Amino acid sequence: MRELSVKTHELWLVVLMASFMSKDGETKRVLNDFSDIIFRHFTWIEKSLIKHNIDYDYNREPIPIKVDRLKVILNNIIDRINSIDLMLVSLQDEALRGRIDKDLSYIKDVVSKIDDEEVSAFNSKRVYKDYSLTKEATDAFTLFLFEESYKEYELIMIYNYLKAHSDNDFLNKIFQILVDESFFHLKSFGQMMAEMGILGVPRVIHKSLYQVEDVVQFLKDGIDEELAAKEQCLELSEAVGKDSQELADFFDFINYQENYHISLMQDALKHYEEKGA
Amino acid sequence: MINVDDELIEHMSSPNNYGRIDDADSIGIGENPQNGEKVIIYLNVSKKDDDFFIEDIKFEAIACMTTVVAGSIITKEAKEISFLTAEELVAVTLGMLEQVPPEQAACSEMVAVALKAAMDGFKLSLEKGEKKTLIYKIEQSCSPEKEFNATQEEQK
Repeated sequence: MRELSVKTHELWLVVLMASFMSKDGETKRVLNDFSDIIFRHFTWIEKSLIKHNIDYDYNREPIPIKVDRLKVILNNIIDRINSIDLMLVSLQDEALRGRIDKDLSYIKDVVSKIDDEEVSAFNSKRVYKDYSLTKEATDAFTLFLFEESYKEYELIMIYNYLKAHSDNDFLNKIFQILVDESFFHLKSFGQMMAEMGILGVPRVIHKSLYQVEDVVQFLKDGIDEELAAKEQCLELSEAVGKDSQELADFFDFINYQENYHISLMQDALKHYEEKGA
Repeated sequence: MINVDDELIEHMSSPNNYGRIDDADSIGIGENPQNGEKVIIYLNVSKKDDDFFIEDIKFEAIACMTTVVAGSIITKEAKEISFLTAEELVAVTLGMLEQVPPEQAACSEMVAVALKAAMDGFKLSLEKGEKKTLIYKIEQSCSPEKEFNATQEEQK
């Protein structure tokens, strides 16, 4: 079942990356929805691992995604689903096995019928839409996207892990909102990276980051990091603001969203300090 | 501001040797005591003639993207070379960093000292007859800060 979890984790990321690669609105939407479904599979399998006291982590293989044609990555998705099909037998929960099997069978069928497209997500042109950013602004934007897309992936996995290991409804509600918020950011940044021709899969996270020993300290550090991220957004908004009001508005929007994240983390921190986990 | 070019993008999007080696022969850690950032180097080692050789190397970074880029560059250089040559690589890297502002140097320094910790740890493990993982903190002349028996978790 541990291997099934790893392969489902990898499949989720490949489908998500494929959604960024597509320039067809409908294909993008379908792949995006499928990636959400596969992430849910991942969380169900994780719950099953915990229920059966099976040791696991979020380690996985690096995922090569550089392709010229969408069909290549779509075929890769089908191959991965076929491999997962063979592993489903390791799931002891029959209802869960049936549910995932049905989902994957449908996803495979739809993916096999998606039209091919040329992929420009790896051409390194670093042009966003039709904006003419200066070299300095483009470099700052590039570094921000690489750093923050990883960070959002990291946050999704950390809060997902905390949620999977907590039975506290109040905390789980907060963790789920933080996962959802990071999903929105990851998808926004991933889409921008694909448009810039610099799409990359976030690197594997080290387990010490999510197997948190001191949640109180983790939340305190997290609040500091969110404050630093606000500063970064502000700097980036100023750097690109001269050339693109739309981009500046986007980074101001992200900046203001961090206030909400900080407030949620403060609520969780207060809960831990007053009542423990 | 770092100059971004195709080579840097390649290191950021597909860093060389990123990940861990299960059952590595040696693990070394470089740590920045100021912010807790870490680089973990995993080595598989063989013996040829009178020296040890780095057969395989991987790294993980609990750090910023600049550290990942440094890890990608340094581990690529360190793959399939002798410990002696790798020691020179560490010395050259640390020497070059003396010309760089400390906040920029810290990322590469963490990778270099992690590599040194992995090599020293390997030699120490042979001496002691059990696996040792060394943690070297940056800006401390690479003197071992802490030595402990590698736990099962860390060897995975």
